[in-house]
Amino acid sequence: MSDREANSQPDSSPLAQALAQRRVLVCVGAGGVGKTTVAASLALCKAVQGQGALVCTIDPARRLANSLGLKELGNAETRIAPEQLASAGLPPSSPLFAMMLDMKRTWDEFIERHAPPSRKERILNNRFYRSLSSVLAGSQEYIALEELWQLRMHRDYRLIVLDTPPAAHAKDFLDAPNRILDFLDNDAAKWLLGPALTAGKFGLHLFGSGSGYVAKTLAKLTGAETLEDLADFMLAMSSMNESFRQRARQVRALLASDETAFVLVTTPQLERLEEAVDFHTELQQNHMAVAAVIVNRVTAAPSRADWKSASKLEGPLRQKIEQTLRENEAMAAEDAQSIARLKADCHPTPLVSVPKLVKDIHDLNGLWSLAQLLVPAGEAPGRTLESV
Amino acid sequence: MDRLLDKRLWVVSGKGGVGKSTVSAALALLFSSRGERTLLCEVNAKDRFGTLLESGPVGPQIVPLAGQLWAVNLQPQSALREYALMVLKFESIYKAVFENRLVSYFLRFIPSLQELVMLGKILFHVEERLPTGEPKYQRVVVDAPATGHAISFFNIPRVLINTVPPGRLAKEAKRMRDVLENPAITTAILVSLPEEMPVNETIELRAALAESARIQTDLIVLNEYVAERFSEREIEALSAIRSLQRAAIQHREQALSSSRFRHRLLEALGLPVATVPRLFTYPIGRQAVESVARTLEPALEAPG
Repeated sequence: MSDREANSQPDSSPLAQALAQRRVLVCVGAGGVGKTTVAASLALCKAVQGQGALVCTIDPARRLANSLGLKELGNAETRIAPEQLASAGLPPSSPLFAMMLDMKRTWDEFIERHAPPSRKERILNNRFYRSLSSVLAGSQEYIALEELWQLRMHRDYRLIVLDTPPAAHAKDFLDAPNRILDFLDNDAAKWLLGPALTAGKFGLHLFGSGSGYVAKTLAKLTGAETLEDLADFMLAMSSMNESFRQRARQVRALLASDETAFVLVTTPQLERLEEAVDFHTELQQNHMAVAAVIVNRVTAAPSRADWKSASKLEGPLRQKIEQTLRENEAMAAEDAQSIARLKADCHPTPLVSVPKLVKDIHDLNGLWSLAQLLVPAGEAPGRTLESV
Repeated sequence: MDRLLDKRLWVVSGKGGVGKSTVSAALALLFSSRGERTLLCEVNAKDRFGTLLESGPVGPQIVPLAGQLWAVNLQPQSALREYALMVLKFESIYKAVFENRLVSYFLRFIPSLQELVMLGKILFHVEERLPTGEPKYQRVVVDAPATGHAISFFNIPRVLINTVPPGRLAKEAKRMRDVLENPAITTAILVSLPEEMPVNETIELRAALAESARIQTDLIVLNEYVAERFSEREIEALSAIRSLQRAAIQHREQALSSSRFRHRLLEALGLPVATVPRLFTYPIGRQAVESVARTLEPALEAPG
């Protein structure tokens, strides 16, 4: 069993199952592990089966656009052109869509939808709001979830794959709606800004109230006007608390529902390993389904036959080959150790290891060869392709 | 032009997983071995220096590692405490205000306060002086967050200047911006891998740092560089032994992309690119970091 899994050829591929059963896959993991390419490959796999699939990234680094052969990707869902698919030898009619979230625009749309008309302008012009995505912790994650929810409710993709911002902790992601709620509606804010919030207007009240000493000391650090601006913002947004609360509940329900699963992506490097295990534990504690842990870029060990044939060579070529085998063996041994630990620590979630590819993935061909490693051919109905 | 080795604040960034911590540790080791008082900073990350330098764990308090080398793992909570104490002067006031449960809850939402105080602590140590007037740390090396986060991290002073009204916070932010923007003090070292996406990110990161945070990048470190080993003819000679030929082809592909991406970086950025060969000793510890330091040394001697 373990050998088969190490070759990512288990009898019933966990990812094939996830693709068949789930409507939403959320790819999570640290930065630099290939999360975006995995997300795009999974969507491609579904699209090649003839079913509408959308991959949605919030990564500002344009990775997804790169690997789909697009120059740039915007806030709107873009269908991958038939010619593009055809040139990679894929069915041109595969309904594959991609988009990159534009934080600012998604927030603006959210305000447009939920803010009472009288408050809209005030919110949109507030200094805190204008730098919201860059200053408010968790807002990226929150807006990604908001968009996911919108897409799931209002579009009919068979599958939405969400690529998330790199995070070391699942809670950065799962708690995002709650953190926004904390921001808008917490005891501390009510206590500190209480008089102003109930009066519906803000001004010098803050510093004349009973909480004056603490407020003054805080103001010494941040400047009094900073607090006032912030309070003004919270006041303007407070009318939307109920919308936020409702959405937080809905998003949480969507993430926890049977139609959603997480895909945790990692590489065998030691420093990634602990992060991946922690992440997995947190997801389990939150009762989120994890379809698979994908171990990306695994080095295969040289076989005994390789060493034997190498010993029959002569001269510098033999030295070079043996050095290469030694290096591969060192990397493979290191990887195998990591995989064994991951497997034990993430039990019973299935592990899918993906061998290191000869070439870096940066186009549809590459995405398709990755897709075949993730979901072995034969498991995925639809077309299969000879090695790319 | 400012000489690279005259600069005092070394910001190391790049895509996640490219070896930023190893390069940061190598730079710090190199400086300290030259007899310069060096402070190595991690930013709210899992401590890696303890393992890389085979020292004890590194926490939020500055610890001496060896000789002239000190290290710290910046944590928002303790950086905030230090900042507050610096402003408020009195521990008792700090306790009354900041250890108030409700207030600490509220503080989390002052925009970017956490990042600001960590950045503030870094810059404080850059400017910190000994009683003799000399800098307390001659070099400060920062293992900075990865691409996307690095851009917003170093942008914080600018964002704040535009966000918060004039006052203490804005004043601090202006001071920070001035240090970061000064190419005589601050340099960014970007670490990359010979792969498509890390290289694209390096090119974008350099532009973003220059345009928004106005930090000057002076050197690219191309990590896990594979030098050419097999010639075409040697690969042909292996055609009878398929699996060995495949290993040789794989090696050659890596060597080819190493050299291709090196040229691409050189062309796109017009900056020196120092290559660091892939290491095969596990786990990556002090010996490996020392070898990276030796590899990097010549690149630092070159004029900025």
